[in-house]
Amino acid sequence: MSTPDTMSEMEDRLRAALTARAEQVRPEHLAPLAPAVRLRPRWQSPWVLLASAAVVLLVLGVVLQGLGRDTRSDDVAPQPDEPEIQMPQDIGRDWDRNDLDRQPRLDLDGDGTDEKVVFRGEPTKEFDGRYRLETTLSSTGEDAYGIAEVGTTVATNVLDPIDADGDGDQELVLYYDDASAVGGGGYPLVFDLRDGLLVQAVPEDPDLLVRGNVPVPGSTTEFYEMVRIHDYWFEDGQLLSSRSRRAYASGNMSLIRTETILVDTWRWSLDEDGVLRAESLGCVRSGLEASVPCRAGEVEELPYLTPVATETFGTGESADFRDGYRFSARLEAFADPVLVVEGDDGRSLRHDDFQVADPRVATVQPMGVDGASLFVTSASDPSYVEVLAQDGDQLRALEAVGEIDLRNEGDVRTWLTQNGGVVTVTAQEDGSWTVWTWQVVRGGMTALPWGTVCFDDVDDPTTAHSC
Amino acid sequence: MSARAAGVGIGMEPAVDITELYAAHRLSLVRLAVLLVDDLASAEDVVQDAFAALARRPDAVKDPSKALAYLRVSVVNTARSALRRRRTARAYSPPHDLSPPSPEDSAVLAEEHREVIDALRQLAARQREVLVLRYWSNLSEAEIAGTLGISRGTVKSTASRALVALEKAMKSTTSSGEGER
Repeated sequence: MSTPDTMSEMEDRLRAALTARAEQVRPEHLAPLAPAVRLRPRWQSPWVLLASAAVVLLVLGVVLQGLGRDTRSDDVAPQPDEPEIQMPQDIGRDWDRNDLDRQPRLDLDGDGTDEKVVFRGEPTKEFDGRYRLETTLSSTGEDAYGIAEVGTTVATNVLDPIDADGDGDQELVLYYDDASAVGGGGYPLVFDLRDGLLVQAVPEDPDLLVRGNVPVPGSTTEFYEMVRIHDYWFEDGQLLSSRSRRAYASGNMSLIRTETILVDTWRWSLDEDGVLRAESLGCVRSGLEASVPCRAGEVEELPYLTPVATETFGTGESADFRDGYRFSARLEAFADPVLVVEGDDGRSLRHDDFQVADPRVATVQPMGVDGASLFVTSASDPSYVEVLAQDGDQLRALEAVGEIDLRNEGDVRTWLTQNGGVVTVTAQEDGSWTVWTWQVVRGGMTALPWGTVCFDDVDDPTTAHSC
Repeated sequence: MSARAAGVGIGMEPAVDITELYAAHRLSLVRLAVLLVDDLASAEDVVQDAFAALARRPDAVKDPSKALAYLRVSVVNTARSALRRRRTARAYSPPHDLSPPSPEDSAVLAEEHREVIDALRQLAARQREVLVLRYWSNLSEAEIAGTLGISRGTVKSTASRALVALEKAMKSTTSSGEGER
């Protein structure tokens, strides 16, 4: 089988292959699984029936046990300086079993035989109660229980088991899903069998054992905030976590980062007091595909400043744009130059409101705009930069809003990369340059900070290097 | 006595009807997931998790027309997590499924399609996601950007690079295959 000759043929082949692969999955192949929630009429829902029963009982003057939300021992947060475990209360024996989700099997008592853990959900109106964890220990035949709060009783949120204390048995790991966190959030909950109870371990530094983009206090601006990227994961029965060394701009539904980032990593061990202690494992270069230990003197990946898109066309010339929205554009010479854009979909747009008499249009489309977008400079005025974007049936110049201007002179330099990124660098007093990348926002475009670089020659972006 | 008549259950009423969503979109979401995680069992798990996530946040989607987009985001994120778990596990072993091969497993993909799918598996996760959302889900750049939480510019550049990488991977596979022959 030959490889495709053109990108268009490649796209066609890809489309056909994806369709063929997807359609291999037929309705009859799907497992007859129960859906995430019982898909019965709501009036048949056990929760509704339970709630209905509660109403009846309340009318009869009977108070259901366990529905109250008084202060509980496991609600009491550990003191940061002296983490302290809380023994679980023996409550929830009558809570409903969750049989919809996978019930974890792991060797809690270290006898080589797995225990099955059953979850009983505390009935609450918002499904946000606690779980009672129950198991029967294979080594003694005795029952053990614990109390967990994972933010929901709809799912059990089970993660891989670990042996964080190295004693040969396994600890149950659940995760608390933080629905309010932007960019994904939450943290793992580790339960260790201690004195016949499933006791929740307490991390000595909870801030280092989370997942998601954690805002840096005081960094919020109109269009973005700075965040550190946190993560945790499991390797060979161990719990590890990481935090990015530097903060990244997050805004406009984007996280402005490079493909690889430097993170500090930790391995979490469970001590005799039930406290999870973080042991530093040093720096790792974390990528989307793989992570490798940092070398000596490892520096952050540079923002993507190059290759620069240098090809442009001027009055009397034209170009075809084949990536994304497909169109051709030409600059016609009248009293003032007129940019004419003709889309493959038959649309025709005209723009004659240039701020310069000799516009030159890059042959690469800038940024991501639905429809046509164009990066305009001037043959005679190197400071002039403008981005035009399709807005309905017209092209309009995007207004720069936010912290920096869109221009190209002196201590502010702007160019277009061949990937369509509009990049601006602004000079700092110490000789370094702050790199910004432009994003389309409501009302125009704004620049988000991407990092810091130094140049041997700022007129040549290929000379950028770490400072 | 119905729950509504009794004055209970109102607070539990989700903004969208998950039952209908499940019936309407499970198949298409499993198909999307299978393009991201390769095998049907994992794809079904991914979709199940997506619906579970929606079920436990019934107010996360107030507009039913946006529920599919919400589920799509959830599927992509969960699929990425699933792939990552495989990568981080030094010795990944598939789920202990001793059942006989399903008809889906045994269905044969045409050679020309298999080459593309094999090459697709060699791409970075982000590249693969962009290509699947663009060429199978037929999403716009803006929709892909919203789904993946990246800028539209990144979508465009990623798609462009991904196609080049895909072609390269196919050529590599083809040439090695010819070498073996």
